[in-house]
Amino acid sequence: MSGHEQAIHPAPTSFIRRYIFSTDHKVIAKQFLWAGLLFLAIGGTLAMMIRWQWAFPGARVPVLGALFLRGSGGAVTPAVYPQLFTNHGLIMIFFAITPLLIGAFGNFCIPLAIGARDMAFPLLNLLSFWTFVLSQLMVIASLLTKLGGAAAGWTTYPPLSTNIGTPGLGQTLMIAALFVTGVATIMGSINYVVTVIRLRAPGMGWMRLPLTIWGLWLTAILNILFVPVLGAGGLMLLIDRVLGTQFFIAGAQGQGDPILFQHLFWIFGHPEVYILILPAWGIVSDLLSYFARKPAYWYRGTVIAMIAVTTVSGLVYGHHMYVTGMSPLLGLGFEALTLAISFPAVILFANWLSTIWRGSLRFTVPMLFALGTVFVFGLGGLTGLLLGTISTDVVLHDTMYVVGHFHFTMAAATFLASFGALYFWFPKMFGRKLDERLGKIHFWGSVVFITLTFGGMLIAGYAGQQRRLFDPFQYRFLARLAWLNRATSVSAFILGAFQVVFVWNFLRSMFAGEKATQNPWEVGTLEWTHAATPPLHHNYDVIPTVVRGPHEFSNPAVKAALGRDWIGQAEELATSEQSPTGTSHSHAS
Amino acid sequence: MLRHRLPALTALGALLILTLTRLGHAAPSPEHGWAMPHDASVHGHRLDWLLHITFIFIGILFVIMCGWMLIACVRHGRKHTAKYDHGDKRRSMLAPLGMAAIVFVVVDGNLFFHSTKDMHSIFWNYARAESAPNAVRIEVNAHQWAWDARYAGPDGKFNTQDDVVTLNDIRIPVGAPVIFQLGAVDVLHSFYLPNFRVKMDVVPGNITRAWLQARELGEFEIGCAQHCGTNHYKMRGLLTVLPPDDYARWLADASHDAAQRWRAEDTAAHWGWPWEKGARK
Repeated sequence: MSGHEQAIHPAPTSFIRRYIFSTDHKVIAKQFLWAGLLFLAIGGTLAMMIRWQWAFPGARVPVLGALFLRGSGGAVTPAVYPQLFTNHGLIMIFFAITPLLIGAFGNFCIPLAIGARDMAFPLLNLLSFWTFVLSQLMVIASLLTKLGGAAAGWTTYPPLSTNIGTPGLGQTLMIAALFVTGVATIMGSINYVVTVIRLRAPGMGWMRLPLTIWGLWLTAILNILFVPVLGAGGLMLLIDRVLGTQFFIAGAQGQGDPILFQHLFWIFGHPEVYILILPAWGIVSDLLSYFARKPAYWYRGTVIAMIAVTTVSGLVYGHHMYVTGMSPLLGLGFEALTLAISFPAVILFANWLSTIWRGSLRFTVPMLFALGTVFVFGLGGLTGLLLGTISTDVVLHDTMYVVGHFHFTMAAATFLASFGALYFWFPKMFGRKLDERLGKIHFWGSVVFITLTFGGMLIAGYAGQQRRLFDPFQYRFLARLAWLNRATSVSAFILGAFQVVFVWNFLRSMFAGEKATQNPWEVGTLEWTHAATPPLHHNYDVIPTVVRGPHEFSNPAVKAALGRDWIGQAEELATSEQSPTGTSHSHAS
Repeated sequence: MLRHRLPALTALGALLILTLTRLGHAAPSPEHGWAMPHDASVHGHRLDWLLHITFIFIGILFVIMCGWMLIACVRHGRKHTAKYDHGDKRRSMLAPLGMAAIVFVVVDGNLFFHSTKDMHSIFWNYARAESAPNAVRIEVNAHQWAWDARYAGPDGKFNTQDDVVTLNDIRIPVGAPVIFQLGAVDVLHSFYLPNFRVKMDVVPGNITRAWLQARELGEFEIGCAQHCGTNHYKMRGLLTVLPPDDYARWLADASHDAAQRWRAEDTAAHWGWPWEKGARK
């Protein structure tokens, strides 16, 4: 399959080539990991400040207020508040989850899991990361400008996001940062797509790819298709701000069309939801199988369901715009397509649950995080039905219910899946294991309080609370929700506090953790069976030849021959193997 | 709930009392618990029903998912031998496909059917609302951070001398269809009437519409549901539902008043537009 000769390059010896401007996908993965975790901390801090404001409107923010809000004596003001939620949203989506799930695990897993020595375009990979760093620096710069950071909401709807509503340099820099990060994403995605197509090891057919790789590959395709649309919208918005055009300015000051931006934004924005969740789905599908010691149930069905969601993802975006005065016929079309997504989604869930059913479950930390992801994604997915339907969306649109729903899907599910992946691949990345006991504390603290926090948002929205209110209790009909909001905030603070456990575990284990063996989880994918821990610079001395799928667990024939419940993807079974499975039989394309 | 039981005073007297009561209790009565806001509309119960029946469906699905997961976790632990099954036989696929089909037909089908029916026959059926002889037409101009409302007055034409213009104060008669045409001058807003299950974005350069029918008297809040800048949270108005006679008296009086105060050179006050019969601009 691979007509591409993969040379073995010697590892660079200079510090700069090795650790800073490296073309090694494993180093770039770690760079993305650090960059993502750092911004996850920033985005999380902003979330704490938002929650503080809703718990105690106008009260001085402890610690953070003295550091960042000196101008107002430590309290969040109506002018600062929109900057908090705008930057929280944008930072989490584009500068924390994207680099973590796609940047770190995409880079680390793809070449290793498909049996390649590096990405197809290592230099492009380097450029992708450093372009991304540039965009992160622009975000930091935007926060330091005179009029403050971006404040038009993460959706950046004009005319508010034009000079009419947010005249500061901060908003301009943030929009430019989105454009630049889009460039980085496209470079990375082209690399992923080409690498998976061109550099799979001999025998690594499409139906033998780990589901993680399927998720990452489909995500990369969506990125290539839809990030340019966001780029176009962002660029037009920049031109409106800087050069005085009126693409999106209407009303008293222009003749443009603000709704056009919403179309451009959501053509990208809805696939973005899947861009973030597809890698998580893939990771969860793999982890559940690995730790249930049971093949992934109906592998092909999971793949087809993920492809179906990918295909439809660009056709459902209109459900974000039901109340913009959209034509009823158009609305109906979007509604039908949106509801249709429940079909593949139910198949995914049924396959996950069938995978663990009658398994031999090992409750390792990655497994717990995978189960937690299924739980929170179930909540998020089910609550989404009411937002995909026009009449019920009218009631819930722009309320905290929407915020709760997308936090369950885009935040909780991707957050838990990212951590599941990190606990799982950390030994291969750093050669040491994360502490299991601290990991379990981190898991239970996260899953319980993430559910309470976002569950509180769902209830507040059901009771009518709009999103993005500096002081929701100005409204008489929301005054009764004061203590619900306060309790939700307390839950969020506890959630934040539990992350300290992770930070400690992460830093300590990296340098002093228990040394990891080559295959501590006893799974059969190439990175665990054929690559050293941590892997060599060129991953594989000899590229392995793959003979079966990634989930060959508890096969009686394997047990009889080898005495264990797993077998490597590239491991020949001496006895004439009678594998009854479709996945094992599918051949390389 | 504050009810306006106005005595049989002169029209002026009625207006005075309304103003005084507003000053005295400058807000509608608060709501209780975590329920949806009290439904004061004729048709809102349709949406509430669909919402709640779907909550029951998704509750059932959620319980099934959690139960399945929990039983697997409890019973199929390390001591249990894993079953070697790729789940790719024809029979194995039936379970996921069947579940997907059931959810699709029952839950999605119910949502799609009722949503389409309700939107088509009621909430998007502006022709029906417009054709009612007692229909009330109001133009709303949203701006940072307030709601201007405009009534056509006795001549039935908008942007004329007898128009009644109010600020953050919309009054409507109970029972009659009330049609709003919404416009904005600066940024996006969203016209949100939680007690009437109404939410419609207000878009600069465009006219959007919404309509409702109140079934009870009282004062209710108007909110903004779309982030519109620093004081978004303060973009709050009052919607007062009056008995039809009181409403007519107030409107006649306010119109009389307005005509006397109308000035041609005050162009900023003439933001109205000719009522649009058809679709959006």
